[in-house]
Amino acid sequence: MQNNKTPKQQNTALLKNIVNWLQTLFRSKNIIFWILICAFPLFTFLTDGISSMFSMLGINLTLPSGDYILYIGVQVCVYILLAIGLNIVCGYTGLLELGYVGFYLVGGYTAGLLMRHAGVPYWLILPIAVLNGALWGLIRGAPTLKLTGDYFAIVTFGFAEVLFRIVKNEIWLIRDINGFVKDIPRASVFVWELNQNWQHFYHILILTGLVIFVSYRLENSRIGRAWIAIREDEQAAASMGINVSRYKSLAFAISAAIGALGGAFLAQFWGTLSAKTFEFWESILILCMVILGGKGSIKGSIIGAIIIGSMSEVLREILLRFPPDYAGARYLIFGIILVLLMRFRPAGLIFKRS
Amino acid sequence: MEQFFQQLINGIVLGGIYALIAVGYTMVYGIIQLINFAHGEIFMLGAYIAFTLVMFFPIPLWVAILVSMLFCAGVGMLMDVVAYKPLRTAPRLSALITAIGVSIGLQNLARMIWGAKPQSFSEDTLPKFFQQINPLVEPTSFLNIFGVSFTENAIQFSEGVSLAYLDLTIIILAIVLMVGLNRLVSLTKIGKAMRACAQNRVAANLMGIKTNRVIAITFAIGSALGAVAGVMVGVRENISPLMGFHKGVAAFAAAVLGGIGNITGAMIGGLLMGLAEVFGAGYIDSFIEFVCNNIGLGQFYEDEKISHSYGSGYRVAISYIVMIIVILIRPTGLFGKSSAHRA
Repeated sequence: MQNNKTPKQQNTALLKNIVNWLQTLFRSKNIIFWILICAFPLFTFLTDGISSMFSMLGINLTLPSGDYILYIGVQVCVYILLAIGLNIVCGYTGLLELGYVGFYLVGGYTAGLLMRHAGVPYWLILPIAVLNGALWGLIRGAPTLKLTGDYFAIVTFGFAEVLFRIVKNEIWLIRDINGFVKDIPRASVFVWELNQNWQHFYHILILTGLVIFVSYRLENSRIGRAWIAIREDEQAAASMGINVSRYKSLAFAISAAIGALGGAFLAQFWGTLSAKTFEFWESILILCMVILGGKGSIKGSIIGAIIIGSMSEVLREILLRFPPDYAGARYLIFGIILVLLMRFRPAGLIFKRS
Repeated sequence: MEQFFQQLINGIVLGGIYALIAVGYTMVYGIIQLINFAHGEIFMLGAYIAFTLVMFFPIPLWVAILVSMLFCAGVGMLMDVVAYKPLRTAPRLSALITAIGVSIGLQNLARMIWGAKPQSFSEDTLPKFFQQINPLVEPTSFLNIFGVSFTENAIQFSEGVSLAYLDLTIIILAIVLMVGLNRLVSLTKIGKAMRACAQNRVAANLMGIKTNRVIAITFAIGSALGAVAGVMVGVRENISPLMGFHKGVAAFAAAVLGGIGNITGAMIGGLLMGLAEVFGAGYIDSFIEFVCNNIGLGQFYEDEKISHSYGSGYRVAISYIVMIIVILIRPTGLFGKSSAHRA
């Protein structure tokens, strides 16, 4: 932990790191992957094209519309972002967080209320929501620093539930019942409003990419190593000179800020917020993603979010055709996934060897 | 003052229910240090089983309660064997995540089978003296001693204070079961085995106690008590797939309040939690009005109609808040040993 480099040297080192990172990002193998992701909206137009072609031939294919696939793509990107945020607390510092939806709620309502009632532009909202999320992360984090294990989990859960109740009941704050915020304006670039799903897709792709980048950089930095040291053995970490409270608070704040970022994006993407969206089960959904992929692994979180996020959205659509009581079947499946994972692959599908 | 006494009665009844559920949490935690998140779902299943039996078969309520107790004991043991037993040596968080998974699974299974809408026992399936008090009909009292009149379904202490026979049954049932459990744990052989397992599972095993069987029996007893509470809540309020979640968390908070792992603590914690919830919900509106008027926000309060329904809106949150405060200030609870596991 020596720090004998001058600030200038540090800056050049950082620059070099970024250049290195960009080089690995755009290596020939990876570049195909990036092109595929960026061209995702085009593929969705393709499905529209195919179904219209077949309909011209008189065959009625029931493919999902391209716009709907894009919508799922946007949702999955948001889930990736949230899973990576949760991974910071759950994966790196190894604490079980059951109230992540609370920060997502804070971000969503910060954005929704300020945009709807104060007319603050979206691009100004993003940093405000992120800072507000970080603030709430610190507020929640400060008293829970000493807690570990089940007690930490229970307190986070209670905190999120209390936030949920507040949003549901404080009519003077939300200005509608049941936490409804309606007609939230969309984000706009100069004068063009972003109201197409493909625009949202690129928007969230940039945000998610940014979060992934930050998370990678954090993982391989002194901070990330400190977090992992705390996860492995808190007392040993403290005796090695790591300021446990400080690094834990940092993890809470960053994780909460990422959650709030996702919430702020969703507020303008959906255009309507409702308290129902922020129930406890949403936290479990995100936790499921992190655990499926393997706690502490960024790739794992991404893959877990893609699998569970798309499954959740597709199941939602399928279950709509069944009697209304089957809406819960989605969560039944996630419950079974959690139990089976803990039984057979407690380290997740993609785990890091330690 | 009348309101106060009525709330006191309601609080004691709710406390009895919480105590019955909290015992299940605390016994399991005492032995295997697991927060059995799914215990609330067992409570919910108990209510639904009795409901189904009473509604579709000509069975009296008390038989249904017994059947549902047996059924829930079975489910509890099954849950232990299928989900938790393979994880005895795994990290504790794995077991907690499994418990959450089981909880979500059972809750949504119930939602698929019985529907998401709250249901209630229809009047004709209940004994006459359990039926709801109809406020429009003047109750006919058939006995009157010292101003206390006994009507068809309630004891009327005064104009606004009454104790329904249903509530009386809940209180008596809770006391009987609690005392029974206390005797069981402190006097019988299996109780001794339970206490031994709670102290040191490995050593108990070495002494020839079949620890897995003791754990299964613990699950069964906790689940059976939870089932009784479930049926009682079902008769008193209504039954919905979410009831286990809400009441379960409150009961867990009660167990933490009393000192988790401590059976007497769970009983007293349950009682306190019931009183806290009822009094909190009953008086929070006037409390907030009082605070607003005294810090100069009276006008704001009037304009925004802040306290439209704090009582019902925050009812559930009260138990969460109590739980958070207890965990943060005194994680060992009121009666917990100071050297208790601090997770």
